[in-house]
Amino acid sequence: MTQTAFKAGGAAVVAASPPAGRRVRRSAFQRKLFPYLLVAPAVCYLLMITLYPGVYAIYQSFFFVRFNEWIPAGFDNYVELFQHDEFWGALWNTFVIGGIALTLECVIALALAYYAYRDPLIRGWRIVFLLPMLFMPSAVAFIWKLAFADGRVISDLLMRVGLITENIDFLGVVWNARLTLIVADVWQWTPFLFIIFVAALQAQDKEIEEAARLDGASWSAIFWNISLPLMKPVIAVAVILRGIDITTMFANVFIMTQGTPGGTTETISFFIYRMGFRTFNFGYASAASAVMLILTLIIAQLLLKRFFRSGRA
Amino acid sequence: MALRRRSGENLALRYVILCAWALVCLVPILWFLSIGFRPRTEIITPQPIYWPTFSLDAWHMIWDDWPMANYLRNSLLAIAGSVVIDLVLAVPAAYSLARYNYKGREDIGFYILSTRMMAPAIVAIPIFFLFKGLGLLDTVWALMLVYAAINLSVVTWIIRSYMMDIPHELEDAARTDGASDLRILWEIVIPICLPGIITAAVIAAIFAINEFLFTLLIASTKNAYTMSVALANFTGGSDGKIYNAIALVSFLAFVPVFLLVVFIQKHLSRGLTLGALKG
Repeated sequence: MTQTAFKAGGAAVVAASPPAGRRVRRSAFQRKLFPYLLVAPAVCYLLMITLYPGVYAIYQSFFFVRFNEWIPAGFDNYVELFQHDEFWGALWNTFVIGGIALTLECVIALALAYYAYRDPLIRGWRIVFLLPMLFMPSAVAFIWKLAFADGRVISDLLMRVGLITENIDFLGVVWNARLTLIVADVWQWTPFLFIIFVAALQAQDKEIEEAARLDGASWSAIFWNISLPLMKPVIAVAVILRGIDITTMFANVFIMTQGTPGGTTETISFFIYRMGFRTFNFGYASAASAVMLILTLIIAQLLLKRFFRSGRA
Repeated sequence: MALRRRSGENLALRYVILCAWALVCLVPILWFLSIGFRPRTEIITPQPIYWPTFSLDAWHMIWDDWPMANYLRNSLLAIAGSVVIDLVLAVPAAYSLARYNYKGREDIGFYILSTRMMAPAIVAIPIFFLFKGLGLLDTVWALMLVYAAINLSVVTWIIRSYMMDIPHELEDAARTDGASDLRILWEIVIPICLPGIITAAVIAAIFAINEFLFTLLIASTKNAYTMSVALANFTGGSDGKIYNAIALVSFLAFVPVFLLVVFIQKHLSRGLTLGALKG
């Protein structure tokens, strides 16, 4: 009864509402505590997977962990970490592979979005270009592992065209192995940026474009001088989100290269995994985790507040 | 006249580029599909075979020789459970962040978002020991909890964005009529931003299907293997990777994801940017 009344929203329901005194007291409570109560469960849950593991990793990083034995190690794990090339190498690999892939994805996605967003077949292009993104990363890793290495399809095709004369060793040579990871990532995730860029272009005010067209501006001039500057905030958000994911690259490395040859495709995620779960050097792996955690927190502080709109619009 | 000619040139270039990329997308997919329906003997050969014989070997193998039914059940349970957990936690949180002014609101919002930036590998070891201590290793429950945690930030931010769009007048009217805040949330806010909630749920489900690292650490038998990680285990000893089974399972996971994405197509770009882009 009251339900239908309040949906109707008429003046008649005022009579059905609680006495004024009670309502005032409750809304004071609501203003102070209620919003915290609403957000508290989610925050607690997230603290469980960020604060607890963070503290645990930092604590564990001061021990040599051998099976169930924890031997205090002081800063030895950190000293070892910073002295060994493996950690720096993994950071560098992540940066190089991720940086090249992200740049390629961004350029390709922008070019495709530029050509597609005014096309009458845009709905079709969107679906087709989206497809690679809908496979599991582990499946994509296998597609390209088979194409490059196990099935030798890429080598065979290049030979048929006459570009090369013998099979290329894609996983045995440093830059070839890095290239396979880059190709797999670009193939799968260019759609992510494409979808966002197209939507951003379509959402722009058509009247500005029309006016510029009437003044005789070419489409490319409109794109560079009007559309692109307007898109900057969206590009920033998309690139940040993609950049976060690319630096955590793991499945591709695990399936395609295992970090070979000589650790030159080992990303930071794979490094931590290998130190922890292959060599069981948990203290050392935790030291790497702790360093990465602190790096992440700093970068998060710098990036998020700047580029994500907050509060009421 | 000059304009017409210029746009004519653009058109040819446009279709060359778009068609080229469409081929880049489609050819590997179709070729991989053909891998799923060819016999073992025609996958890894000295010369790649481009016109294979059709075979349902892989289809029989994944059901008869491998516990495919378990993999499917584990994936479904873990994903569905995690999405439910996410929605239960995220809807009130999003409402609080979108609709109330209070001290620390910004910081709480950004704290939630910042968990999205954390590399899974960073927390992998502590989470592994946490579940080991709880006796939850190699169970679907552990996967459910982890997937929910991974996606909570995304789900909260997407829903928050949709809630911020609702005009205040609606809630103010209900509030003057004496409706409690919880009832306003349940009867006005949730129905209006249902598209946002569905978008968030779909995106969380897709991320959960894709999840690899945590699943690899938590699952060790068919009790908890999901499709994503089971793929990496389709090996036949000396025969190496069983690529036709891998391909088939890849497409088994692809089909529902495709349908879900088509279903939320209009909201996809907004969801993927966590609400930053209103399509």
